[in-house]
Amino acid sequence: MDRRTFVKSAGGVMLAAASGGLPAPALSQGANARTLRFVPQANLANFDPIWGTQYVVRNAAALVWDTLYGVDETLTPKRQMVESETVSPDGLVWTFKLRSGMKFHDGSPVLAKDAVQSLVRWSARDPMGLMIRALQNELVAVDDLTFRWSLKKPYPKMLLALGKNNSPCTFIMPERIAKTDPFQQITEFVGSGPMRFVRNEWVPGAKAVFEKFADYKPRDEKASWLAGGKRIMVDRIEWVIMPDPATASAALQNGEVDWWENPLSDLVPVLKANRNINVDIADPLGNIGAFRMNHLHPPFDNVKIRRAVLAAMNQEDYMRAIVGDDNNLWKPLPGFFTPGTPLYTESGGEILKMRSLDAAKKLLQEGGYSNQPVTCVVAQDLPVLKAMGEVTADLLKKMGMNVDFVATDWGTVGARRAQKTPPGQGGWNMFHTWHAGADCINPAPYTAVRGSGDKAWFGWPNSPGVEKEVENWFEASSLDDEKAAIARLNKAALEDVVFAPTGFFLTYQAWRKNVTGVTKGPLPFFWGVSKA
Amino acid sequence: MLAFIVRRIIATIPVMGFVALFVFSLLYIAPGDPAAVIAGDQASPADVERIRAGLGLDRPYLVRFAEWLFRVLQGDLGTSIFTSLPVTQLIAQRIEPTVSLMVVTLLFAILIAVPMGVIAAWKANTWIDRVAMAFAVFGFSVPVFVVGYLLAYVFALKLDWFPVQGYTPLSAGFGPWLENLVLPAVTLGMVYIALIARITRASMLEVLQQDYIRTARSKGLAQPSILFIHALKNAAIPVVTVIGIGIALLIGGAVVTESVFAIPGLGRLTVDAILRRDYPVIQGVVLMFSFVYVLINLVVDIIYTLLDPRIRY
Repeated sequence: MDRRTFVKSAGGVMLAAASGGLPAPALSQGANARTLRFVPQANLANFDPIWGTQYVVRNAAALVWDTLYGVDETLTPKRQMVESETVSPDGLVWTFKLRSGMKFHDGSPVLAKDAVQSLVRWSARDPMGLMIRALQNELVAVDDLTFRWSLKKPYPKMLLALGKNNSPCTFIMPERIAKTDPFQQITEFVGSGPMRFVRNEWVPGAKAVFEKFADYKPRDEKASWLAGGKRIMVDRIEWVIMPDPATASAALQNGEVDWWENPLSDLVPVLKANRNINVDIADPLGNIGAFRMNHLHPPFDNVKIRRAVLAAMNQEDYMRAIVGDDNNLWKPLPGFFTPGTPLYTESGGEILKMRSLDAAKKLLQEGGYSNQPVTCVVAQDLPVLKAMGEVTADLLKKMGMNVDFVATDWGTVGARRAQKTPPGQGGWNMFHTWHAGADCINPAPYTAVRGSGDKAWFGWPNSPGVEKEVENWFEASSLDDEKAAIARLNKAALEDVVFAPTGFFLTYQAWRKNVTGVTKGPLPFFWGVSKA
Repeated sequence: MLAFIVRRIIATIPVMGFVALFVFSLLYIAPGDPAAVIAGDQASPADVERIRAGLGLDRPYLVRFAEWLFRVLQGDLGTSIFTSLPVTQLIAQRIEPTVSLMVVTLLFAILIAVPMGVIAAWKANTWIDRVAMAFAVFGFSVPVFVVGYLLAYVFALKLDWFPVQGYTPLSAGFGPWLENLVLPAVTLGMVYIALIARITRASMLEVLQQDYIRTARSKGLAQPSILFIHALKNAAIPVVTVIGIGIALLIGGAVVTESVFAIPGLGRLTVDAILRRDYPVIQGVVLMFSFVYVLINLVVDIIYTLLDPRIRY
């Protein structure tokens, strides 16, 4: 007996009498097929992709706002809103021409002044944007469709900066909205992307709705990640926020939702066993697990102590704790860059292959470790971090270190990791995190690998060798030069132990078999996805 | 009576003031930083600091408290740090699912628990009484989320009688509205049924020993009339008290139930706000729940006078 039969035959009869008959389902069969219900990785709590740089915001923003360029599946930036560009022979002046006929969701045309103001706002927040801004002479609209960016020094990675998929992307907004302070949230969500945001149906924490934008003109090329023709095959996409993975799993099995971005690995066998559901790797660029040691305070202000930890760790322990027995989901990572991408290197990675407690203890002795407590701050509300934290605590104890395990939530870790005070005064010695593999394909978006001391990411590693090679990479004019710089960077980062990579891991996505066109990528791409 | 109601409503003002001070202070000293969550993992410490300043979180405690209190006194609960939406709007968006869940749970629980308690008392020390009380122990012992998952597995996944998750507004029709609430209400109602049934039984056992019950029986009154009219009315005061107190239990249980069944209610709003440190939302929701709880206690006191004319305020 199915749901409708049950409702009608049991209490439904009474209810129908009381309410004047059972109402029809909210959506007819046809309308249902035109609505795609998607369970995202997290709650869309805000919707300003420049102010808030969480991945979930970027993923939703990619539907609503278009970008000047977009990387394809080969990580090559391709023209998107831009029709053509020229660069002066000395590499100092870039001139961009926008495609004609593009419109914002409020009906106004997309003009060069909108692109200029959007780039001004973006470049105040993005690491690559900040670099360009530091080199900038002028960024101006030349006419309605043309703008010019002139620099004091060439910036060879310009197109990558404008087309990368790392947050924040160069989402183009109307000028009046882009004038908002980049450290304040926008209040209007008007873009020129393939879907418009239905603000009055937005219930943060529960639902976000997007409707097809009829005036969107997709490019002619085949869609590939953020590049090419973004053709939307459904009328409406509903993001259904589900904090509980078991509920999301049941809803997918029951056909109440169509696509789940990140099923918990524990639940994947159940989904794989369901004949109505497809399960596949979500993002081939995966994730890099990590823990960071605080370079400002003992014992990890001493490089030998940091190396001792690297020498002892076994990445397999970390990966098994995260993904379980599924060997398709992980691989060891004797370096910092994403496996399978052009700049991947294992240079200097020998220390991560040692897995020797004896070598670690020797290094601890040489480093003069005197049983100081190691304050290891571990978020318990994120399974990946909890798992890694427990492995690290066990590892440190085996090494003979004195572990002060602080079990807390991610909100607290986020605040505490910014404290530079000693661990006993609200600071910390270690915390765990992970980085999207898409952010670790080169040094431009990869703030975590930088060694710029006080200006570096949390832990504040100081590694002149890393910084020198970052500069070399930016100035490299060939792929071979880039590879050489990254190999040296990887070696220097491991020698100075900028942070500890715990391995490379992948996650699954799952969708109903009546949904077609789902692709693998660093974010869920909705163009080309249809539902029967 | 009117004077009593006015007095009680005036008395809520210092209570709400204390709640406001307590909640604000607690959040101030609690660790965590919404700016860090907003900025994302790749943000630099300087970016986080600028966002914190933009949100006004770097200002002294007293300044922030005074500003917030001033706005609250004007009926403005502030603006969510994350969504930039007014807290009143966020609460308004979420209030219908939570009120619906609580009303259906309350009705379901009372309709099941009170007769169960009455019959258990009537058939005290028989197998019927034992079964009823065993059910009550089960209701107390099994966590809400376990009941929720079991019900969803059996009645939604296996039998496909009800949806797994979600909420349909009442405006979309009574049937779909109720369809979405059956499993959550049964889940949330288990503890409540257990509580009410046990109290009803205990109270009824005492009343059924009274002389007037014996008189009623000797007059030849029908058993249902004795139990549900004469005895239950006199046994009802502790039951009503427990129903009132149990609203707090429902509010707490709604947090878990709404998560398990993905109901976009106030419970989930609260949990999300706490995890993100969305201070204005937490403060607004806690204030509102406190106010509701105070009002429910007032309603319970008024119901006492209806059940027992000897009670006067």
